[in-house]
Amino acid sequence: MTAAERPVPYSTAPRERRTAARGGMLLTFVALAALPVVSGQNGYVLQVYTQTLLLASLALAWNVLGISGAVSLGHAAFFGTGAYVSALLSTIQDLSVWITIPLAGVFAAALGMLAGLICMRLRGAYFALATLAFVEIPRVITTNWDNVTQGSLGLVGLPGLPVLHWGDWRLDMAASSTAAYYFVFAYAVMVLCIVGIIQRSSFGLAFQALREEETAALSIGIPVSALRLLALSASAFFAGICGACYAHLVRYIEPGLVYGLYFSAIPMVLAICGGRFTILGPALAALVIYPLDQFVFHPLLPAGHEFLYGLALVLTVLFFPKGFWGYFGRTS
Amino acid sequence: MLSAVVVSALATGSFYTLVALGFALIYGVTRNFNLAHGELLVLAGYTAYWLWKTWALPFVFTFPVAIVASMAVCLALQRLFARLSEPLELNSIVFSFGIAILIQNAMRLCFSGNYRLIRIPTLNHGAGFNALPVSYGQLTLLGLSLGAIALLYLFMYHTYPGKALRATIQNREAAALAGINVAAMGILAFAIGGFFIGLAGPLFGCIHYLYPATGPEATLLAVTLTIFAGVGRLGGIILAGWLLALAESITVLYIGSSWREMIPAALLLGLLALKPRGIFSDDGR
Amino acid sequence: MGMFARRVQNLRPGYRFSCFCAAAGFMLLAAAVCPTRAGSLKIGEISPLSGRLAKQGLEIDRGIQVAIDMANRRGGVSGRKIVLLSRDDQSRPGVAISRAEELCSLKKVVALTGGYVDALVGPIAAVAQKYRVPYVASASLQKELAQHRNRYFFRVSRLRGFIEPLCGSLTEQFKPRRLAVLYAATPGATELAQDLRSCLATRNIRVAMLEKFRPGTPDFTPLILKLAAQKIDVVVSAGFTPDHMLMVRQFKEHHFSPKAYIGPFGIASRRFVAAMGPNAEYLYGTCAWNPGITMPGTEAASKTFIRQFSERYQHAPNTTNMHGYTSAMALIAAMRSVAAAGLPLTGNHIRDALSRLDMVLPMEHLAFDAHGNPLHYHHVVVQIQHGRLVPVFPPGRAAAAAIFPAPAWGKR
Repeated sequence: MTAAERPVPYSTAPRERRTAARGGMLLTFVALAALPVVSGQNGYVLQVYTQTLLLASLALAWNVLGISGAVSLGHAAFFGTGAYVSALLSTIQDLSVWITIPLAGVFAAALGMLAGLICMRLRGAYFALATLAFVEIPRVITTNWDNVTQGSLGLVGLPGLPVLHWGDWRLDMAASSTAAYYFVFAYAVMVLCIVGIIQRSSFGLAFQALREEETAALSIGIPVSALRLLALSASAFFAGICGACYAHLVRYIEPGLVYGLYFSAIPMVLAICGGRFTILGPALAALVIYPLDQFVFHPLLPAGHEFLYGLALVLTVLFFPKGFWGYFGRTS
Repeated sequence: MLSAVVVSALATGSFYTLVALGFALIYGVTRNFNLAHGELLVLAGYTAYWLWKTWALPFVFTFPVAIVASMAVCLALQRLFARLSEPLELNSIVFSFGIAILIQNAMRLCFSGNYRLIRIPTLNHGAGFNALPVSYGQLTLLGLSLGAIALLYLFMYHTYPGKALRATIQNREAAALAGINVAAMGILAFAIGGFFIGLAGPLFGCIHYLYPATGPEATLLAVTLTIFAGVGRLGGIILAGWLLALAESITVLYIGSSWREMIPAALLLGLLALKPRGIFSDDGR
Repeated sequence: MGMFARRVQNLRPGYRFSCFCAAAGFMLLAAAVCPTRAGSLKIGEISPLSGRLAKQGLEIDRGIQVAIDMANRRGGVSGRKIVLLSRDDQSRPGVAISRAEELCSLKKVVALTGGYVDALVGPIAAVAQKYRVPYVASASLQKELAQHRNRYFFRVSRLRGFIEPLCGSLTEQFKPRRLAVLYAATPGATELAQDLRSCLATRNIRVAMLEKFRPGTPDFTPLILKLAAQKIDVVVSAGFTPDHMLMVRQFKEHHFSPKAYIGPFGIASRRFVAAMGPNAEYLYGTCAWNPGITMPGTEAASKTFIRQFSERYQHAPNTTNMHGYTSAMALIAAMRSVAAAGLPLTGNHIRDALSRLDMVLPMEHLAFDAHGNPLHYHHVVVQIQHGRLVPVFPPGRAAAAAIFPAPAWGKR
């Protein structure tokens, strides 16, 4: 193992680099926070960046699991379940979107727990293949459970994001692109903070131990199975909330769309390109790749622009196995 | 009715086997999961379609070209797979997933989104053996898959490179110690895998239809059969194909068409959870 | 690649990070506002030009292009040239919203058109309402979509246009003893199957078998055996082109010969007939328009469209192209009437003109109800006879009698 490949614990990074990283983070944060003002509340730019931040949150959610060394090819299961749970609760039960969005996360986490129990003994490639197959189960059930989910009809006319009250002050997030943007932005920042806190806690070290050497981790008393289950359900929880946000942003869902391969593939591609074992990597990859796709690649190559995602993934695996951020930000 | 169900399941299962063979061989020898398998298959199908349509080449003669083309692509891919670092199985999944996206989008760009079909009318005619409802297409599939398995069996058990391949499948380290060039075996596996992909691709174009986005389904099928049979058990694959097709038919008959797609997925999940080394293994962990 | 990587690795971390930030900053700049041209009359179009619905989206787009070309050649809208801004929603609702926002807020289009399937039309309609920009959707079916008090939303198609001729031909022509309705697991096909069943129930026809399948199913054999065991004599199959291709071929393999096979989507097109060859004979489909099948009295307009279209794209148009053309024609007519009244071309004026619109186009007699639905959108049932699409129902539009029952596979 060469020096560059040795895992670096987060706390021992040289001060100069930590300062640079913090400066960069702050800069990105300020730029994103100021985006609505800078772009003159331009609906188009805001929409693209709302989508970007939603995908960034999804990639971060994926990486809650990814950081422990597992690769999932089936996060659409949790995304889709989150979207359907929130959509159904808010239309049939008439609950406030403020309540249904967290509930969607809880349902998705329960599904994640189930997936974790089924895949308890699987590692590495076999776990990845199991998740690939797992997506079909909620998808087929949603498609066929006509009485509850309306099956393959899809759900039309969902309520938009909620209205924010503060005394006399009122903000309708369904009507304002800016408000919707800040809603998703806040969620992305929240997920990032939670991931950061987890990673710097003893849980984070345990996850790191898990991916480096599982047997050793077990022998020093780390509850490996419980941790894996926890990681998968936490990851599913955040992915489910992303799905719920998507449902209320787009206000139209159908099984083929929300359980589609796209929502399984994109968080994996972003997290691996950004750096699977880093905190910031997946979000940064989303911030670079999605706008690049929408603003540059798509106009150039309408028919095959998704080419970009495949290319980014292949090049990362071949040349930067630690990912973009793992390479640029964290080598010694 | 029962005989018809069994005949159709046997034919469909044989088709599944042909689709899965290349994947199983590559995985067995090199431990690379090639998730771009379905895309390669569709690409071979498009090659055959193009030859058949624009050059009016008889369908049978499209096979050699498709086989050579897909062997070339597989060998090129092998160079890339060989560069992957450990953990190999996981990295190969991620890498080939990227390759799958690349090929799929390249096909979108080159062949329009139209559905393509290689039309061979004779394959659709019923052969009519004593009221047993079987078509020439089904007989072809059954014959081809059994033939392919037999050929592979002869190669694996009666030639030196075949025996070396088997040794590599069973234990890489031991094979290397015994003087087998494991790297060369990897190249050979990709070449043979390419051969089977080239064989199945044109059939895919006339039994099914061609469309840039049909690849993932074929990949999932190949993964399921490979895991079902267990690594390196080629005879097991055809049995797995038949059983899967039968399970699907029974589901459609007694539950409903819309539950059909759950079968391969549930089967794969169940197998992975209970018997990850394959149904025929005695050492299920 | 390796060289570059090594060089980057040799940079000091601080510089490396600055490089990254510069790249990120560039991305933000790339999104900066582009200047817009004044004077021309801009209409926006959003269709799935890539992704899973690319084929249909591109067909819609071509129809719209031809309509705009023809209008501009005749002087545009009171002398002003119409500029069409086409955008691709990549078959994804999230992207459709971004594109609609771009066209409405950035490009300041006066109206929107295009769109294929409700999953993509719905989100565009919501944005159009927000900006008070009228939107004439080219292909949208579901009932729900037009029930949300969106006064800026119009569409040139609706599901009822399929149901009435289907239900009518089944009750009056085919009179099935045992009818099977098979449908793909997509919103449009599902709603079609449900509505057809309730329509048939009012006319005392029971659906003996109602079955959902996934579009793109690789093998229909078990389903066919089930149909045969149930002694089904008429099949309505609401799948799409590839599903028909596979299902009909497997019907033949298994000698299953229903008296009629009706595919509301994906059969009534020349391309399907060409791909299927002789196996397409006697199948039924439905369409709103096709070369040679046009609203009575619009033969000349239909011919002009076919000629213009073929000149531009070197192939004959189909019914999807016509949907695109019709939606664009509705917009152009509305804008012309606004301009003729001497009013400014604002969203509200165009919307009012659209709701008063009453014109006969090759595809339909176009007028909208209060929800923006087309009042007179009706399909005709066609049968493939000698490789040609021949209208057989309703009687007023029929060109020949239906060959019913279709001969068994062995007797062709």
